[in-house]
Amino acid sequence: MSTTVPATGATTTPAHAKPKRARAQLSEGAKADRRLAFWLCAPAVLVMIAVTGYPLIYAVILSLERYNLELPQDTKFIGFANYGAVLTSQYWWQALWVTLIITAISVGITFVLGMLLAEVLHRTVFFRGGVRTISLIPYGIVTVAAAYSWQFAWTPNEGYLSAAFNNGAPLTNQVEAIAVIIVAEIWKTTPFMGLLLLAGLSLVPDDLLRAARVDGATPWQAFTRITLPLMKPAILVALLFRTLDSFRIFDNIFILTSGNNGTASVSTLGYDNLFNALNLGIGSTIAILIFICVAIIAVIFILGFGTAAPGSDAGKR
Amino acid sequence: MIKRRGSRSVRSRVYRIASAAAGLTLAGAALSACANANAGTGPVALNFYLYQDTSMATQDAINNCNAQSHGAYTISYQYLPQASDAQRQQLVRRLVAHDGSMDILGLDVTWEPEFAQAGLIVPWTGAYKAEAEAGTLKPALQTATWNGQLVAVPDNTNTQLLWYRSDLVPNPPTTWAQMIADAEQLAKEGKPHYIEIQGAQYEGATVWLNTMIASAGGSILNASATGPSLGAPAIKALSIMKELADSPAADPSMSVQMENQNRLAMEAGTAAFELNYPFVYPGMKLDNPTLFKSFKWALYPEVTPGVPAKVTIGGIDLAVSAYSQHKNLAFQAALCLRDAQNQLIGANVGGVPPTIASLYNNPALFADYPFHADVLSELENASVRPQTPLYQVVSIDLSHQISPATGISPTGTEQSMASQITNALASKGLVP
Amino acid sequence: MAALTVRQRTGWTTANLVVVILALIPVLWLVSLSLKTPAAVTDPSIWPSQWTWGNYSGILQSSQFLRPLVNSIGIGLISTAVSVALASMAAYAIARLSFPGKSVLIGLALLIAMFPLIALVTPMFTIERALGLFNTWFGLIIPYVAFGLPLGIYTLSAFFREIPWELEKAAKMDGATPFQAFTMVIAPLAAPGMVTTAILVFLACWNDFLLAISFTSTISSRTAPAAMEYFSGGSVFTTPTGPISAAAVVITIPIIIFVLFFQRRIVAGLTSGAVKG
Repeated sequence: MSTTVPATGATTTPAHAKPKRARAQLSEGAKADRRLAFWLCAPAVLVMIAVTGYPLIYAVILSLERYNLELPQDTKFIGFANYGAVLTSQYWWQALWVTLIITAISVGITFVLGMLLAEVLHRTVFFRGGVRTISLIPYGIVTVAAAYSWQFAWTPNEGYLSAAFNNGAPLTNQVEAIAVIIVAEIWKTTPFMGLLLLAGLSLVPDDLLRAARVDGATPWQAFTRITLPLMKPAILVALLFRTLDSFRIFDNIFILTSGNNGTASVSTLGYDNLFNALNLGIGSTIAILIFICVAIIAVIFILGFGTAAPGSDAGKR
Repeated sequence: MIKRRGSRSVRSRVYRIASAAAGLTLAGAALSACANANAGTGPVALNFYLYQDTSMATQDAINNCNAQSHGAYTISYQYLPQASDAQRQQLVRRLVAHDGSMDILGLDVTWEPEFAQAGLIVPWTGAYKAEAEAGTLKPALQTATWNGQLVAVPDNTNTQLLWYRSDLVPNPPTTWAQMIADAEQLAKEGKPHYIEIQGAQYEGATVWLNTMIASAGGSILNASATGPSLGAPAIKALSIMKELADSPAADPSMSVQMENQNRLAMEAGTAAFELNYPFVYPGMKLDNPTLFKSFKWALYPEVTPGVPAKVTIGGIDLAVSAYSQHKNLAFQAALCLRDAQNQLIGANVGGVPPTIASLYNNPALFADYPFHADVLSELENASVRPQTPLYQVVSIDLSHQISPATGISPTGTEQSMASQITNALASKGLVP
Repeated sequence: MAALTVRQRTGWTTANLVVVILALIPVLWLVSLSLKTPAAVTDPSIWPSQWTWGNYSGILQSSQFLRPLVNSIGIGLISTAVSVALASMAAYAIARLSFPGKSVLIGLALLIAMFPLIALVTPMFTIERALGLFNTWFGLIIPYVAFGLPLGIYTLSAFFREIPWELEKAAKMDGATPFQAFTMVIAPLAAPGMVTTAILVFLACWNDFLLAISFTSTISSRTAPAAMEYFSGGSVFTTPTGPISAAAVVITIPIIIFVLFFQRRIVAGLTSGAVKG
């Protein structure tokens, strides 16, 4: 998502060294900057903290309590016992395993397909507007609506996909159901990935690629040696957000299988324990553990991609 | 300031008198309005929460009761989501937050212990209780009882029958063993032979399990609902379920089937037997009139030959919210909503069996309910699902053990069920 | 570009067709289901054996669906406007200014983007009830704004970072106030990015299911995805395939129109300034 300088009228002075700002102590300008920054950021920070602050703290507290809405009088503080219960439960590990598989496979395939889609969107020579609109539809359609479409499609005796596979009922078999869920996820999120990759793709200068071809590079070499490295920041953002979202997959599984037959993800497991079993203690614990897992994934990404992280550099001055 | 007092003072006096007069008139009007309002305030609005009944039977009942209340109350029909779990979540979430805008609640028959234990619904006492119990079927009353108190009033109930194709099976089987044998025979002859039963991983599977265990003479929980009972009857029930799952009589989609898919499979002609609620009868009549001619019903098959099956009942009970501002009126309105006249409408228009026993002898029921005799005999001998505030957890655990049914191993499954129930009742561990 | 060979033409046509077909099949299936009579639902072909407009007339005449649709649009637009406005300000600060706590802010945004929604439902529900926000538009707008901010801040700060600092400095040297510099120089350049961000945030609000079912109880504030939970079939046991499919199609149409209008903007916004060969 970067723009280079458009050739508009504004004269651009060459990027000389930064103006002579005071380096050691805060100048008036720097102080004014800070004040401005404070006022600019305050509303956003306020909203974010006000909305999520108390729930976050409350969730952490709940995870340390034994609190079941069906037995409200038995509520008491039990320290980390909930965490012990969750981490020794087969359901948690199975859900984690399922979630990781779905995440890895769907993000991987979505990345490849998204790259292909980005190429098509970038270079296709006719019907460009139409293809772009249509390819964005899977992203725009409400997830729940799309999930119903897939569910009805795989229902024996009713669905065209089920009929294509000999009236099978893949949603009852763990492996097949997970495959169906992955397909639904890929269909839904490829446009998003494609959009973000398109932004990165458009940064790659065409003449660089042409020069490489003139020098005898194959398209694949041009792609891997030139395009990919230049797209690194866009790829990071795309992969990061997509992985974080995919790990918390909920809507598709909820509609397709309700998490039955071994297809529960960590989010549906948390939902079941929180809202069906009304076990606020265990449910909150699961949520906190999900958060920790997601945080670990984010850290791995940012460490892995390093300086390409947004906001990590001091900003181009 | 002493300023031109003359004209001003006259004017101001006029103004003062005029405003005083106006004020008095207004006050008087307000007072009389108040008086009128107090004398006959408009009807109290009672909010009745239930899933949307598209058959209009519930709306008819509401209209009847509003008319009969003579202005005392107006029941307003508030919709809950269609799915049972979603309904429960909405109700619990709002009641736990002391929502005062809910008065009458339409509860599934398994929720009463949970809601009552958490103090979300109020017990029925005195005259209301007497009226609720008069002439009501005992198993239905059992679902509305918790800790010796009546916490709701049964509205409608539901029970499964054995539906079969008389062109394939002239004499219906009376036991499970016989039914499976008949189906296998049909399979050998190359005729439609499936036995349709709800085998998906959901509440319907728990209902099937409960029916089988109760029919085998046992129960899922012990008498005080503090631990599992299971044992030999459970092992017997599980072996029959396993036998069905392994036989050619099992529908290949059994592990994903719910009531509606069973109905559709029967209507499509691939099945010979079906264990389902009476809603399949008008469905078959409408969708497959040819097949309808040989579509017959019988009593639910026995587990132990000679011992009638104890089929698990479903249905709706009406409860009054503990946070309602108009509890008295809510009790009266609830009693009206489920009185004999409205239950008859529910049966004929809505297709749900009544809970008032005398209605089964009422000829007005017979036209749309030719199977009323079998339904009544099953209802009088029915079983209910385990009564515990932790029923949801127990049910989820159980349904995951028995679905897909091919994964059942009679002794092994019985043991893991027992340990899971013990954990569930101690509120330990996770639900899948 | 040079004239295309036949091979290139067919290549691109094929690629276009593949994208279009793959993207549209599930949507076509929904349309097909929405036109089927209940009896035809059991026939698995994409082409309905029996047609009816009944599903559409049913839901469009029912306030149970129309009002949620209006709610979705209204809540989505308001949430998007507020979220993008707040995110722009913060993103500008992140991209342009140096201040202590910048990485904390970015970390906070990421934290919120990562936190599982299920854990927040119960406490947020309690707060909303206490504040009287339950079952109101604001009850959904406020969480949506909060959850749209991280995405907005990230996207926009990346955009702002790419706009050369020199433009602003030049404007300031010409005598413009910071505000004027922002509105007359930066904003037009950032417009494509803001449109893209707005679209992403709007779609996130439009899509939300969990908060919509948890924080609403009547159609006065229920949104379209939650409304589908209330559709009923012929009996308690029947899935209302027709009405759900019709509703799914109806809530997709505004998005299709939206995307049709803005796809040029979206893609232009993402690729503006690409160095022309």
